[in-house]
Amino acid sequence: MAPMRADSRGSVVWTVARKELREALRDRQTALTTLVLPLCMYPLLFWVMVQGALVVQGYRESQEVVVGFAGAAPEGALEALGGGPVGAEPEARPDASAGVDPVRLEPLAGTAQEADLRAALEDAGLGLDAALGFGAEGILLLFDGASPHGELAERRVRDRLEDLRVRVRAEALEAAGHDPRVLDRLELETVDLGDAADKGALALATILPLLLATWCFLGAFFPAIDLSAGERERSTLETTRLLPVPRRWVLEGKVLAVASLAILATLANLVAIALSAEGLLRQIDPGGRLLVAFPTVALLAAAPMVALFALFCAALLTAFAGLARNFREAQASLGPLQLVFVLPAMAAILPGVELTPLLALVPVLGVTLAVKSLILGQVLLLEYALTIVGLLVYAAAALSFSVRMMSREGFATASDTIGFGRALRMFRSSRAISR
Amino acid sequence: MSTAPDAIQAEGLIKTFHDPERGEVNAVQGLDLICRGGEIMGLLGPNGAGKTTTLRMLATILAPTAGRARVAGFDVVEEPLEVRRRLGFLSGTTGLYPRLTARETLEYFGRLHGLEGPELERQVERVVDAFDLHAFASGRCEALSTGQKQRVSIARATLHDPEVLILDEPTTGLDILAASDMIRFIEQRREEGRAVLFSTHVLSEAERLCDRIAIVHAGRVLAVGTQEELRARTGATWLEDVYRALVAEVEGQTA
Repeated sequence: MAPMRADSRGSVVWTVARKELREALRDRQTALTTLVLPLCMYPLLFWVMVQGALVVQGYRESQEVVVGFAGAAPEGALEALGGGPVGAEPEARPDASAGVDPVRLEPLAGTAQEADLRAALEDAGLGLDAALGFGAEGILLLFDGASPHGELAERRVRDRLEDLRVRVRAEALEAAGHDPRVLDRLELETVDLGDAADKGALALATILPLLLATWCFLGAFFPAIDLSAGERERSTLETTRLLPVPRRWVLEGKVLAVASLAILATLANLVAIALSAEGLLRQIDPGGRLLVAFPTVALLAAAPMVALFALFCAALLTAFAGLARNFREAQASLGPLQLVFVLPAMAAILPGVELTPLLALVPVLGVTLAVKSLILGQVLLLEYALTIVGLLVYAAAALSFSVRMMSREGFATASDTIGFGRALRMFRSSRAISR
Repeated sequence: MSTAPDAIQAEGLIKTFHDPERGEVNAVQGLDLICRGGEIMGLLGPNGAGKTTTLRMLATILAPTAGRARVAGFDVVEEPLEVRRRLGFLSGTTGLYPRLTARETLEYFGRLHGLEGPELERQVERVVDAFDLHAFASGRCEALSTGQKQRVSIARATLHDPEVLILDEPTTGLDILAASDMIRFIEQRREEGRAVLFSTHVLSEAERLCDRIAIVHAGRVLAVGTQEELRARTGATWLEDVYRALVAEVEGQTA
């Protein structure tokens, strides 16, 4: 049989990428982190958050707090605090708020002075959560803010005495022949003229670009390790180097596979968060002040930039992961690289940081700001063009670095993890066998 | 099909590694070698003699530090792709992709050798038949036994019917039956007119298979010839003694 040849670069890169994708998706960890985790994580996380909040709220409401008091209480104060006849068993008290935010009042032996109240509160035998002193000058409340029950007692006492104060003031005004609503003129009412959809877009523009950058990076993380360090660990590196095609094309196929998985993971995350965020929003914003619409058009416009960013992440991570001897060491050494990616993306959420021609060229930050601007409905054609040019240059540079690194003979023959310094030395001195 | 008279030529092949602890390590020091089509040639020598490094240079996995080598008429440095297209290489470190099935592995290599469509299917079926892979062709390589993996590896290395086959200690780690299959396979390649170069330190294997043997010691070829020629040169009967005599001869010269 005469030797045949696969001469088309596109066909070779596609063949390698398809094989790598097939292998990667058959790996349990990659499939889990790329597809299963994103699709399950957000619905599950949001459900747990909502349920957890409800459980905590119900628990707090059902907790009884014990408040000791001394001194002569103003009329109606003890009743307002929900105590009913002091000293009676809880079930015997006609408590209007029975079962919700219960407060049990206990009379104290000492005076309403701070020292006596402090002593009573510190007396573990009394089991007090707060101590209340009714004096001629006012009411003094001592509580332990470091204790959950102390904080609960303070809030309940303050709320109920405030209600009493408003009621007494209104009754006094009425008794004096004044309309109690006269004080309403001093009540401040605020009206937010911001459009709910604009506010939703602002909230989304703050968080979504950061999430997209993080998802891209994390989506490329495990596949990059699996396809480079994993290959060394599985003893298939030599097999791959024997392929009868240029090694550069093989590496391009690998990077394409990693980038595809990063995009897949980003899409899975996006779908999952879109499906589950509505429920969370209903809980955190029951008044509907935010109207968060899925920014389909903005995301479609941002898709080419996100894809290029995924390629950049894939090329860089594949090159660095290839230096490690095995999967575990690659995971450990690439962990800190996450900060290099996430920190610039976080800068994009700072108020006042907007997309400019200069910032468009900053790695990671440029693409994050461009996505933010698209979600906000801005049209900055020059800046978007510069962002794309920057991404193309960085992706090409990362790919070139990756190819040059992996084509070094020292890389191919290393049996241990290659440190960064050694990699640089190897980059300068070791012979390339890239063809 | 006939092959070129000299399927493998190596002249003054040198390979130097830089070891962080040992400094410069001369793994191969001016190795000359010729292996002809239709010939089985063995590289015989102990561990560390430079056999694996030599074979890896011929397979374009490593670049020679100096010297020249041609495989199937193509220079390993200048035309590595042409070499890899005509070469089947197998060693203990050329693992199979564990998450691909045996058939997927063969199809992948076939595609990258430029096969496609019915021709790809025909060639895959040919090696599946030839190496009796039917029972486990659809199983992932990670689930195969050592012997089954070895058969898939051979099928992978010969899918494109290479003119030259290079095997690095092909029977190491195999059980008796798998080793016997491998030996039969090597003999079959010779019958088909292909060149086979393999390294070994198993003397019985070399005695049974090799048309010619190159005795390798400390990165150099000490002698090349048929077993009769080597015995005549050293006066020894057994290959082990031949090897010892040649090493003593060269050490005597350098002492």
